Amino acid sequence: MFLRMVIGAVTRQKRKLLMMAGAMALGISLATAMLNVMLDVGDKINQELKTYGANIMVTPRGASFLGDLYGIEEGAGVSNRYLAEDELPKIKTIFWAFNIVDFTPWLDARVSVNGSEAGVPILGAWFRKHLDLPTGESVDTGIINLRSWWDVRQGWLKDDDMSGIMVGGAYAATHGIHQGDALTLSVRHTSGGERTARVVVRSIFYSGDREDDGLLAPLALVQRLTGLEGKVRRVEVSALTTPENELARRAAQNPRTLSRQAWEVWYCTAYVSAIAFQIEEALTDARAKPVLQVAEAEGAILQKTQLLMLLLTCMSLACSALAISNLVTANVMERGTEIGLLKALGATDSQISLVILAEMLIATFLGGAFGYAAGLGLASVIGHSVFGSAVSAKGLVVPIVALLILLVTLGGSIPAIRMLLRLRPTDVLHGRGAS
Amino acid sequence: MNILKLNDVSMVYGSVRALQNVSFAVRPGEWVAIMGASGSGKTTMMNIVGCMNKATHGSVVLDGENLSRLNAGDLTAIRRDKIGLIFQQFYLISYLTAVENVMIAQYYHSVVDEKEAMQALERVGLAPRAKHLPHQLSGGEQQRLCIARALINYPRLILADEPTGNLDKANQNTVMDIFHQLHREGSTIIVVTHSPEVAAHAQRVLSLEFGRLVKDAPTQRLCA
Amino acid sequence: MLVALLAVVIGATVFLGMGAVYYDIPRQMGREFRSYGANLVLVSSGGNSVLSLDDAKRAIALLPADKLVGASPFRFETMYYNRQGVTVVGADFTAVKKTSPYWQIQGEWPQKDDEILIGTDIAEHTRLYAGSFVTLDIVPPKGRKISKELRISGVVRTGGAEDGFVIMPMSGLEGIMGVPGTANVVEISIAASGEELSRFIEVLQAESQGITPRLVKRIAASETTVLSRLQVLVYLVTGIVLFLTMICVGTTMMTVVMERRGEIGLKKAIGAGNKVIIAEFMGESTILAFAGWLLGIISGYFFAQIVSMSVFSRGVEMPFVLVLLALVASFVVTLLASLIPVSMSTDVEPALVLRGE
Repeated sequence: MFLRMVIGAVTRQKRKLLMMAGAMALGISLATAMLNVMLDVGDKINQELKTYGANIMVTPRGASFLGDLYGIEEGAGVSNRYLAEDELPKIKTIFWAFNIVDFTPWLDARVSVNGSEAGVPILGAWFRKHLDLPTGESVDTGIINLRSWWDVRQGWLKDDDMSGIMVGGAYAATHGIHQGDALTLSVRHTSGGERTARVVVRSIFYSGDREDDGLLAPLALVQRLTGLEGKVRRVEVSALTTPENELARRAAQNPRTLSRQAWEVWYCTAYVSAIAFQIEEALTDARAKPVLQVAEAEGAILQKTQLLMLLLTCMSLACSALAISNLVTANVMERGTEIGLLKALGATDSQISLVILAEMLIATFLGGAFGYAAGLGLASVIGHSVFGSAVSAKGLVVPIVALLILLVTLGGSIPAIRMLLRLRPTDVLHGRGAS
Repeated sequence: MNILKLNDVSMVYGSVRALQNVSFAVRPGEWVAIMGASGSGKTTMMNIVGCMNKATHGSVVLDGENLSRLNAGDLTAIRRDKIGLIFQQFYLISYLTAVENVMIAQYYHSVVDEKEAMQALERVGLAPRAKHLPHQLSGGEQQRLCIARALINYPRLILADEPTGNLDKANQNTVMDIFHQLHREGSTIIVVTHSPEVAAHAQRVLSLEFGRLVKDAPTQRLCA
Repeated sequence: MLVALLAVVIGATVFLGMGAVYYDIPRQMGREFRSYGANLVLVSSGGNSVLSLDDAKRAIALLPADKLVGASPFRFETMYYNRQGVTVVGADFTAVKKTSPYWQIQGEWPQKDDEILIGTDIAEHTRLYAGSFVTLDIVPPKGRKISKELRISGVVRTGGAEDGFVIMPMSGLEGIMGVPGTANVVEISIAASGEELSRFIEVLQAESQGITPRLVKRIAASETTVLSRLQVLVYLVTGIVLFLTMICVGTTMMTVVMERRGEIGLKKAIGAGNKVIIAEFMGESTILAFAGWLLGIISGYFFAQIVSMSVFSRGVEMPFVLVLLALVASFVVTLLASLIPVSMSTDVEPALVLRGE
């Protein structure tokens, strides 16, 4: 009978319940979309922040840093230590390999151009190098991704182009170099020998930084010129990271000071310091340092964005929850006469509450199910139009949404039902209080 | 042995005295009409007898239970088990069919038995309309449905509040015929009404005026 | 009626709250992005790499003060430690804290002229840490080689070039090297991106002498990309939330009005024309919309304030235009939501409405 009453109520009062289910569907689609976007916004913004370039710098252990800010003359302590190029794919095999977005080796040298005396800085790097990993996967990585802000009008080089270079905008302007010009590069070695290469200028680039005063070539070309085959000076790594916290900061100073448990937590979280540490483990004699300018700011922006989305989500959820429970209350209040009659017929309070709650829940959950589907659609619209990729549907959202529906429905109907139950059947049935 | 006995019952709402020192008794199988103009205390009386309100003074004994000693939950149980209520406004559940409207009374009382509910509808001549919703029924049919609902649990007392107030002459007669039939079968019936015509069907009329019982007399039978 | 009022208040709250947050996002987020450091540098426009700080100050005065986060000059010199050359940087530390908030210091920032910071690479190499003293040999442009004992107040870690530098207060460096009032570069962090930033550069280029402004392309270009994405995100989210809330409010209003179909039928039965009935409902809606809007202003302001304070620790401004827009929105939604069911009901014959369930 209970079932028949509920089914009767749901199927024969379509208009009222449809209205409520509709409102619920709207609210839930909003909740679903906001929650999904909120849970995914961290990953998405993290991806976007990768345009800032590398957040980890790998150098050979023992090499002291060159005074390379703003082209200040090279100080003492230039070391002749290098990293091995053939070890680099190992970066993609660490615990957090999946979070390594891009990386590229660099090798710098000074060359004379067309026999001139002055040493012109030349940088060698991977452009978009194809690597086959020991794990069987393959990646394409290099500065085309890591230097997205560079203005390159005639296209990037290919890694196997041994006779092509790119010229920095400032150098090209002062020396009247244009695309297609042929240059002769030569490097004189301390041992007395000299290596030369004839190259063609494939394109001019504008970096807005000191690279504009030099040349850029595939790594292999610079290695051949300098006789440093298979060696690189430093590696830039761009990784997706978790914002740093107190633990990560302590670990960054010295991981060995952590307790066993804390160390495990740190090691298994994508903190930039943990990823740097794992890169050091993977490469021989390497020192990996987080670039704080990028890593710290990234953390700050990520946290702010996530907090912003979280709050916006909570606020709008609270508002729509309030609006819908308001509607549920209105719906229950309409049924004063019915409740009075059921009481007069001898129904107990709990029996009446159960019937009404069951009806409300059926209506709201039906609405909620539609809303969830619509919300997923909305989330993917947001994902595609903002980030150009779908927002992944998180399983976590389903229980949250279900709980939300339950709370909103119960919260909206229970006070109203209690109020109506407090009315005596006589008040309702003899005209007082009923229209 | 009386099925209902009121002893010196008063009902006071604030400063308004709705009933004053009313006493009467009803024997099993009796058909009693309670008459009075608006404001005479009929509705208050009906509420007290129907276990929907408690008198402020005096005692009400229904089928051996002293109502004045019971709490709201017990009153609900008594109402469910011993009384069949019939209203002027019908009060049917709009989204349930005729037979389902009868069945909910069974449901709250004990167990649901659709066959028995159908028999009750047959008794009031509504069997062919069992699957209709209340708004598809005429006024007379709705009131007959209410009677079927009131009968379904074999109540000790049938309490009807202006049962024909919303009905035309023909329907009023149909309803009264059903009451006569119930009376012949031995049901105890109390009808609250302002209409002398309806009251005339009863065996005995209690008249209320300004909350006092002014007359308690048997009626002359108009029809058998 | 309370139900309807609550609905309008919620609608106005969401409208104003989300609207204010949306208006404020670019400004607030732009500030946050300054944690990436300078997006503009001033260098000398002359042949030598030294610029005058007075020229720089005049140039900085051309920039709007409310957008300027910080401007910090750097001067580079070479000194010797155990005959090894090290780059010594003169800096203004109060300014550095603003332009480069990512510097991590173990120990203290230098307070006095003879206190220095050393980069973490140098610290590791020399095994010198906060609190120790170090003697640097200096060859000033005029005069003979001198030695100076300096106290290391802290070790700086950035993961960048600073890890290999010795950094000391500008006044301390000027005291040792002479030639005060000069720098090699002035880093400027300004809360602007994209075209606005380019406009500032044009202004500086045209109106200042002795210096050349240069865009730090990496920071500026990336910020423009990411910030515009964020803005689109908030824009879309705001749009969707607003749209759905308005519909939700509308539905609630409609339910409330629908319940009064009986009343409409009764009024028609006693001779009220459709126009009179509609006018009555319009009047009620107007009062409702206005009351809801007034309450919504207050709660909407708190909505925005809570979001802004907890995310950015800064207050929020409520643009007047938005308040007016909210009024228009609450009128439109309320009127529409009551007009639709009312006109539906007035089409029905009064008898049907009165009898119907």
